[in-house]
Amino acid sequence: MSFLADTNLWSNVPVGEHLFLFSPMIVLVCTMLAVVAFPIVLGRSAAVTATIVKLGVITAFILAIRVAGQVTDGGVSGLSTSPLAGLLIADNLAAGFQIILLVFLGAVTLLWLIGSASSEENSPEFFILLLGSALGMLCMTATSNLLMIVLAIELASLPSYAIVGFNKRDRLGAEASLKYMIFGAVCAAIMLYGVSLIYGLVGSLRFEDVAEYTVSQMVSGQNRLLLSVALLCFFAGVGFKISAVPFHFWCPDAFEGAKIEVTTWLSVASKAAGLILLARLVVILCSAVDYPIEMSLVQPIAWGLGIIAAVTCTVGNFSAYMQKSVKRMLAYSSIAHAGYMMMATAVFLHPSTKGYEAGLTALFVYIVIYLVMNLGAFGVTALVSWETGSDKIEAFVGLMRRGPWLAVPMVICLVSLVGLPPLAGFMGKWWILVALGKLESNLGWFLVIVAVVNTLISLYYYLRVIVAMILKDDGQPVIHASLGGVAMVNICGIVVLALFFLQGSLKTTSERFTRDLYQAATNQDDSHRLAWKDL
Amino acid sequence: MLTIGLTHYLIVAAVLFCTGLFTMITKRNAIGILIGVELVLNSANVNLVAFDRYLGSERMDGQIVALFAIVLAAAEAALAVGICINVYKNLATIDVDSASQLQG
Repeated sequence: MSFLADTNLWSNVPVGEHLFLFSPMIVLVCTMLAVVAFPIVLGRSAAVTATIVKLGVITAFILAIRVAGQVTDGGVSGLSTSPLAGLLIADNLAAGFQIILLVFLGAVTLLWLIGSASSEENSPEFFILLLGSALGMLCMTATSNLLMIVLAIELASLPSYAIVGFNKRDRLGAEASLKYMIFGAVCAAIMLYGVSLIYGLVGSLRFEDVAEYTVSQMVSGQNRLLLSVALLCFFAGVGFKISAVPFHFWCPDAFEGAKIEVTTWLSVASKAAGLILLARLVVILCSAVDYPIEMSLVQPIAWGLGIIAAVTCTVGNFSAYMQKSVKRMLAYSSIAHAGYMMMATAVFLHPSTKGYEAGLTALFVYIVIYLVMNLGAFGVTALVSWETGSDKIEAFVGLMRRGPWLAVPMVICLVSLVGLPPLAGFMGKWWILVALGKLESNLGWFLVIVAVVNTLISLYYYLRVIVAMILKDDGQPVIHASLGGVAMVNICGIVVLALFFLQGSLKTTSERFTRDLYQAATNQDDSHRLAWKDL
Repeated sequence: MLTIGLTHYLIVAAVLFCTGLFTMITKRNAIGILIGVELVLNSANVNLVAFDRYLGSERMDGQIVALFAIVLAAAEAALAVGICINVYKNLATIDVDSASQLQG
């Protein structure tokens, strides 16, 4: 064992307080194991699984709040043998996202308990997959290392493929999971090829080094083509998670074929995680740029992001136009909302050093608001479709009479999804538009126009559901939804209303979570890099 | 006498990548597409290991990524075949074009 003496392996084992910063993830892993192990002793039942999952998620949530209190400004990178090349990062952004995601995980679990728990035989397996994808999403938002990004995206994706086709006798689910899986596998393979090219060019897997190299190559003009191809390949994987056009084809099919609680989970969580990852990468890229001299170099990237965001938004809205199924309409609208959120990432390339703060805060605010309003809308759709057996618009006709406790939160959430005041969705859009306006460039104004026009387009298809609920009535029977579900969607409705009036504190909280991201010292120490020879 | 250098490995990897990409685009059978995916994943592995062998001197990040990628490919293949079996049971085919009940 002589090699052990040569390395300083043991001095670099993560210390306890660093490990504590990753405790929510560790708790999720333990919950996954417990979900498999306990049914062996206690018997396979949905009740046992649900208890374990509830305990696990609540513990992880409490720990996540404590972690958020302990994360220092600037954050730390952990689980590494070198302080500069950490695989996982614990900073304000990761800690903030952890809290949001765990709340959402709890809500999805609740939705599952209401709708599927009674008929589900394979509940342990379902929750291994759900918790596994949650863990992947947490890792996605807490890393800037290319290897970890690939692993995290795969960890989030692989369980998602399986969970979409979870019901073995469901033809639509099988088809949806096949499409999702093939699309995801292709994107992942292309992304890994991009990573291999980036590694060959840069000689490091840290995105800080990649950003620095990208900027220096753009200045000198060398290797520009190869680097662009590599970065585009890499972006395919990230774009797949965000469902940015042209990587969005899986999205409506997977969402329609999956069970509705799974659709709820995927529509918000996987996109939010992908966007936070994209935001982190763009911020790192920005910090490598020497403002304002090299500003023109990153303009093409800003335009690229902005145009993809604009196209994503428009495609999502136009496709949602003709949908008859509310679930499918919400799936397309989630593509459109991913577009709005992506616009905020184009803001990062702002002509001042700290210009990304407005965009990052706007993105974080939007993710919080989007999560609540989408949960409300999907929750009502789930409750209606479980009662009537259909998620078509016809099932919603006359809902105001048949179930006012469902119709009112649905109206609130849909109007908020359009982005009208006095609801939280308006604030989300407003902060993004303000951030875009601060850009004071053609790109900013172009995106503002696209966002406003898209909001007008989206008004039509959201309004169609509202009109069907309130103005029409064809005498369908009254809906008796379960109390827990009604409580959940009404809480969502109230929160959407409340967030509009609490916008000040929401913005302050978001600013706290988005300031001072972890930035490894890029220029100080080159010893961690390979002695990379020229090709 | 020809010495094998980095360029040769990169060409092999590029050929593998293009073959894989071509397979993914032309095949209509789900298993065929997955074979294309495996080819692309392995082209990335060849790249990573070759870069490490010829360019680096101290660290082995590329080889470690390649190891992870191999496990990743195995996990993905296992899951993909499982999904294909499920689709076959339900639709009696794994042709991706016939899976068209959902209008993407």
